[in-house]
Amino acid sequence: MGMTITEKIMARSSGRDIVTPGELVWTDIHSVMTMDFLGRQCFDKFRSLGKTEVFDKNKVICVSDHLVPPPTQRFANMLNEWREVVKQHDITNFYDLGRQGIAHQIMVEKGHVLPGTISIGTDSHANTYGAVGAMGNAIGVTDAAVAMATGKAWFRIPKSVKFNITGKWQPWVMAKDLSLHIMGMMHWNGHLLYKSLEFTGPAIESMSMAGRMTLCNMTVDLGAKNGIVAPDVITERYLRRRTTDKWDFVKSDEDAVYDMVYDIDISDLAPTIAMPGKLDNTVTVDKLLGTKFNKAFVGTCTNGRLEDIATMAEIMKDKQVHRDVNMILVPASTDVYLEALQEGHLETLIKAGVAIDTPSCASCAGLHTGVAGDGDIVLSAGNRNMTGRMGSRNAQVYLTSPSVVAASAITGEITDPRTFDI
Amino acid sequence: MIKGTCWVADDYVMAYDIITSEHWTSPIDPEENSKIVMSGVKEEFSKENAFKDRGFTFIVANHNFAGGGKSIEHVITGLMGAGIKAVFATSFARLQFRNAINYGLPFLTSDDDMHLGCETGDELEYDAAKGIIKNITKGTEFTSVPVAPFVSEVSEAGGLMNFVRDKIAKGEPIQ
Repeated sequence: MGMTITEKIMARSSGRDIVTPGELVWTDIHSVMTMDFLGRQCFDKFRSLGKTEVFDKNKVICVSDHLVPPPTQRFANMLNEWREVVKQHDITNFYDLGRQGIAHQIMVEKGHVLPGTISIGTDSHANTYGAVGAMGNAIGVTDAAVAMATGKAWFRIPKSVKFNITGKWQPWVMAKDLSLHIMGMMHWNGHLLYKSLEFTGPAIESMSMAGRMTLCNMTVDLGAKNGIVAPDVITERYLRRRTTDKWDFVKSDEDAVYDMVYDIDISDLAPTIAMPGKLDNTVTVDKLLGTKFNKAFVGTCTNGRLEDIATMAEIMKDKQVHRDVNMILVPASTDVYLEALQEGHLETLIKAGVAIDTPSCASCAGLHTGVAGDGDIVLSAGNRNMTGRMGSRNAQVYLTSPSVVAASAITGEITDPRTFDI
Repeated sequence: MIKGTCWVADDYVMAYDIITSEHWTSPIDPEENSKIVMSGVKEEFSKENAFKDRGFTFIVANHNFAGGGKSIEHVITGLMGAGIKAVFATSFARLQFRNAINYGLPFLTSDDDMHLGCETGDELEYDAAKGIIKNITKGTEFTSVPVAPFVSEVSEAGGLMNFVRDKIAKGEPIQ
């Protein structure tokens, strides 16, 4: 009987020939990520295990993303403690303010995750790492401390679910629309809880790394354990200039066993929006045309990449953000920021009236850089829209793709980018 | 045998509402976290210590308890600090399920749609060895799905930190 890609990764990482869903195993970890607001607690717990040196100082990746640049004295003090503890443990890969980015973007773009291996992080969107064919998994501070000490983590082998994606991508329809479409289709009623989601098919094979990252990123919001795309030529091209580590093209066997298989044809996929409050309450853009909003946001580990910014710039070129809308863009990393600058996208967007801030999680974590106030209606290309997620519990957040946010920011109401005059 | 009253959720209970966003950057500490635990779930729990002061021992919930994909451990330490000894639900969100295992707080799935058969304030009695939950107030009985041996071992050790610390101290392999 064959194994799925995730089963194979977990088997090789636990020194076994075969694993089966339901089994509990301890696996080797390729890298463990932690970030500013939880990191100090990870190191404190790590030391309480009786260790002073981490399992591999090149493989504990530390990132400042949630609190930077510090908007309050409390955050400034937390960051100072964080820097001190990272320094104390002689961590090689520390991405601090000036070289920062959202941790998941950093992990992938700096080559800290590898196909066929397991990487974990103390933030839920660690599922993003599946875009390069790694098993990316979110964990808590306790698991991070244990991994820092031992290079290991425990896992229950998940059942796998296959999404076979066919058809042709239509203009202005993005990976985010597919994520939200699946969210609406599967709901939070337990179908995908703990499952490993594997994305295959012609429409995935033609997808950019940025799109794959968006798709895998939001699998955590489906309740899944991980999301994964098998490595291919796009993966190889992406990783070539980011890592010198050797890796294998681990893929699912032909006779691998899936708990469920879904076929989705994206030829008719429409721009999709999650209604405020619940991610699985999704509608297509036509149902919301004309809905007014006053804040627009593009950024995050879901949609803050170069491709997203290029799409915005294409839509917003020589146009102006509507006078009733404030719009903020926060690139996902310093590299993305620089590339968007070099390609002229930032100039286009600044001229259109978009405020641009240095890379961070920004208002997506409700902490700073454009948080929502009472009564605000936000159109966001982020990943969550729960009550209070972006600030006030009296604000409403609609979630959608960068192309919908860009077109709508110009008209001041929810607009279909496919019919917008670009 | 654990005995006490339960709080029954009437909808999805999100991790976001168990610990609201302004507290995510606070230290992971049962005493501190318990003061504000559940403050976003219901208006009646919004004041400091409001949930804790009700003295519940159990939570009974429907699907995807503590969902919304938050990995913060404050959710678990907050519930433990408030005196919660076990949570019974139709299903749990993965991240908090994992955190609960790591802290040795029983998160138990029940096949019996228990949330439909219990009301807030009912007195329950949980027999961990047999996996049986009795609703004393209503005179009904439910069963929980048995947990894996590893989960019991971690729980008996008082959480993953103790479990791993002990292995490291003894020089035993972790496998």
